[in-house]
Amino acid sequence: MAAVPSSLEPVKLGSGYNTPWWAHAIKWGLLALVLAAGLFVVQKLVANGSWFGVVITAFILTCVLAVYSTRRAVPMKYLLPGLVLLVTLQIWPIVYTVATAFTNYGQGHVLSKEDATAQSIAQSVKEVEGSERYKLSIAVPEGSDVATGDLVFLLTGADGKMQVGTKDGLTELSADGVEKTDTGKITKAPGYTILNAKEANSRSADLEAFAVPVSTSAGIKAVGLSGAFQGAPTLTYDKAADTLTDTVSKEVYSPQNAYWATADGKRLPTGWKENVGSRNFSDLLTNPTIRAGFFKIFLWNVAFAALSVASTFLLGMLLALLFNDEKMKGKGLYRSLLILPYAIPGFVTALVWASMFNQEFGLVNSLTHLNIDWLGNAWAAKAAILIANLWLGFPYMFLVCTGALQSIPGDVKEAAKIDGANAFRTLRSIIMPLLLVAVGPLLIASFAFNFNNFSLIYLLTQGGPFATDNTSIGSTDLLITYAFRLAFSGASPNIGLASAVCIFIFFIVAAMSYSGFRRTKSLEEVN
Amino acid sequence: MHKRALGAAALTGAAALVLAGCGGGSSTTSSSTSASSTTSASTETSSSSSTSAAAPAEVDTKDPSRADADLVIWADADRAPILTKYADQFAQENGITVAVQIATETRKQFGDATKVGKGPDIVVGAHDWLGELVQNGTVAPIQLDEATAAKFAPAAMTASKFNGQNYGVPFSVENIALVRNTDLAPDAPATMDDLLKAAKAAKAKDSKVSVLLDQAVGKTGNAYYTYPWLSAYGGGIFALKDNGDYDADKVIVNSAESLKGAEQLAMMGKEKVLSTNVGDDNAEGIFTGGKAPFFITGPWSIPNIKKAGINYAISSLPSLPGGDAMKPFLGVQLFYVSAKAKNAALAQEFVTNYVPTKDFQLAIFAAGGRPPALTEAYDEVAAANPDVKAWYEAGKDGKPMPNIPAMNSVWGPLGQAAADVIAGKAEPKARFDAAQKEIEKAIKASS
Repeated sequence: MAAVPSSLEPVKLGSGYNTPWWAHAIKWGLLALVLAAGLFVVQKLVANGSWFGVVITAFILTCVLAVYSTRRAVPMKYLLPGLVLLVTLQIWPIVYTVATAFTNYGQGHVLSKEDATAQSIAQSVKEVEGSERYKLSIAVPEGSDVATGDLVFLLTGADGKMQVGTKDGLTELSADGVEKTDTGKITKAPGYTILNAKEANSRSADLEAFAVPVSTSAGIKAVGLSGAFQGAPTLTYDKAADTLTDTVSKEVYSPQNAYWATADGKRLPTGWKENVGSRNFSDLLTNPTIRAGFFKIFLWNVAFAALSVASTFLLGMLLALLFNDEKMKGKGLYRSLLILPYAIPGFVTALVWASMFNQEFGLVNSLTHLNIDWLGNAWAAKAAILIANLWLGFPYMFLVCTGALQSIPGDVKEAAKIDGANAFRTLRSIIMPLLLVAVGPLLIASFAFNFNNFSLIYLLTQGGPFATDNTSIGSTDLLITYAFRLAFSGASPNIGLASAVCIFIFFIVAAMSYSGFRRTKSLEEVN
Repeated sequence: MHKRALGAAALTGAAALVLAGCGGGSSTTSSSTSASSTTSASTETSSSSSTSAAAPAEVDTKDPSRADADLVIWADADRAPILTKYADQFAQENGITVAVQIATETRKQFGDATKVGKGPDIVVGAHDWLGELVQNGTVAPIQLDEATAAKFAPAAMTASKFNGQNYGVPFSVENIALVRNTDLAPDAPATMDDLLKAAKAAKAKDSKVSVLLDQAVGKTGNAYYTYPWLSAYGGGIFALKDNGDYDADKVIVNSAESLKGAEQLAMMGKEKVLSTNVGDDNAEGIFTGGKAPFFITGPWSIPNIKKAGINYAISSLPSLPGGDAMKPFLGVQLFYVSAKAKNAALAQEFVTNYVPTKDFQLAIFAAGGRPPALTEAYDEVAAANPDVKAWYEAGKDGKPMPNIPAMNSVWGPLGQAAADVIAGKAEPKARFDAAQKEIEKAIKASS
């Protein structure tokens, strides 16, 4: 921290203070490193054609240079790294989620309309029934460049007949000077330069567009590098009318709901991404299934988060108080043992608990000689979740409480003792208030985390057990697991809808956290 | 979601879970990678550069992107090493470079990478991804000629078609069958009654046996393992269209035939043959622990069964009382060509001329152990390998798992209906009626 200038000992800034040379060297070295890294990123972004990314990166680099190369903007020197991280890791995902919530992005709606149309046409290519297959060699007329020359197909039919296919049509190829492999693929033909695999491959885009016309509707197209078939797309795009027409069935597809569909509802599989305005939000608010489930799930969600925080905090705090006792021996060992559940990855623990809660084969029932259907009964499953989360969460509370307890000065406790307070009174009136000031915000953070504790629910119960007529609303579902199922278990996973749900959840958590923080403010008055 | 995927997801971590969930009607691949990941771990030795000569490198999970080569193939860890060998041969013959990369969550990585132009030219995946891939416009049609198509098992060719267009070249077919512990049950039962008789005899003989028929059900159910119970009576999930495609508008989960299967499930639950306490997480352990004489599972369980030293034999699923034999779903593994392939011509050449060869299919078989899709290759393998023959026989009358996107709406409701019926929580008819309604509603909501 820059020292606050005091009247006694003014801190000299500017000309009077000499920065040692090595500090300059390190500063400029680091700046150069950041610039080099930035340029590397820019290079990658340019290669990807992501111009927006280039602009953003350039802007950040300019900021870095402006802030750190001069002596000005001292506060910014501290703030900039945090700001950059805030924008890239927090603000940007939020902006992206909000933007997605207004689209229909999801399975079947990935491509742009243009691309989806091109794919639909490509998917409609059909081989002409009963037509023959050819052995193919891809060539260009002799003398022209292999990379740009007009493509020529040298074709051998099943009967050994050789033909030359160009964009104008088929002509016969005389056998003079022609060499073939055993399978009939032409390897040499006078007047033509045959492309090798690499050369032919580099013209993949041309090959895709190239067809030797054999009738008004069909052409000979390549399959890979050594075969050709007669076929044609059955769909044609009419740009003016914005319709796709099936040349075989004469059906006309027009854009409907980001799909190509006929008037009687027949639909092509490939759709496109488009803006749907607030449809995702209105769907959420008006869907009866969602409305019916929401309240029930919301109640359990709040109860789950609150009970999780309360139970883990109580256990963690009691253990912290216990191990904070000076008379206790071997505290270090106990403390490290208690942190173990925290050190094991949560998803492993959750899966272990899931198997321990198995009604027939699980450890819990066999140890207690109970026969509780932990994961199959709605209330037992709720209890199972809370128990597993208690195990997962108490070490954290134990840690933060231990830290907070150790920072409570001993003289306060001593003063209480002198005033005649017993141990319980000291705990209630002195330790608890001081402790809560320190851990209050952490409890709110823990509440917000548990409110969206997706992985625990998903690994332990998958939201179940479910009512016997509705598998979209489970009795241990949180809003987030519910949203996940809503968005992804339909016939086509809908990421736009999922984003809309996330925005709702964001506001709910924000509102609850806000009121929580308001309350902790009153605690701070203790100080 | 297909529940067997959960094991795989657990291995790859919490993040992977979300993805497996995203995958929706998840697949036989995720399960096969989960089951065989132990055997394959040793094969991925290096993450060195992906030139044609190097061992296959892994695709970055966070930022999946293609290697720099003339032809890029993404495959799972099992098949990548063997693919590399053939890809190298292809590369030499054509004077190009080929890179094979290991993708751990192929379906998701392929989608993400292709969207931003960093995807491979060829991707190896299960046939039930096809509906999604076509919807997203990420795979290109493959014009196999009739003669080549005829060399494959007909079901495998059906599986690689969507809306009448062919999008894949198959290389293996997998399905579930009845695996038995030959020490506990020496003979293959032809009917469910025989099976239960043998299982009860085994239980009387060996006190360790606690589960008569080991089948993954779980608290939320499992539609994949439920289907054979319905198919034994001619029931199923979707009715077929005239052209043999599944019809998303005709759900037959509560048809009279399917209901017979549901009643059978209820009975099995009542007699404590099936239990919702047996799920994906413990079904394999129960069998490898010698606690069950019979286990309905697929080839992915075999490595662990062998490792546990269980003497096993594979036979077709038994027939149910008053019905036919249970018929499983088939899962077909395919080579797909990306719609955004940078090297479309080479990619098409590879899949149409290299994949349908006997040598290639035999080599892939050696890596994965699943019955080859090419009839000629299968015949050769089956002559020497009774397991492969048994898997094939068990799936002979099976139908490919639906690859239409509507299948995504079926996994949850049908699985749960079966679980509830087995647990005795609901009457079969009422419960399957409710499931039918729920599935129809979900399909309608997204169309």
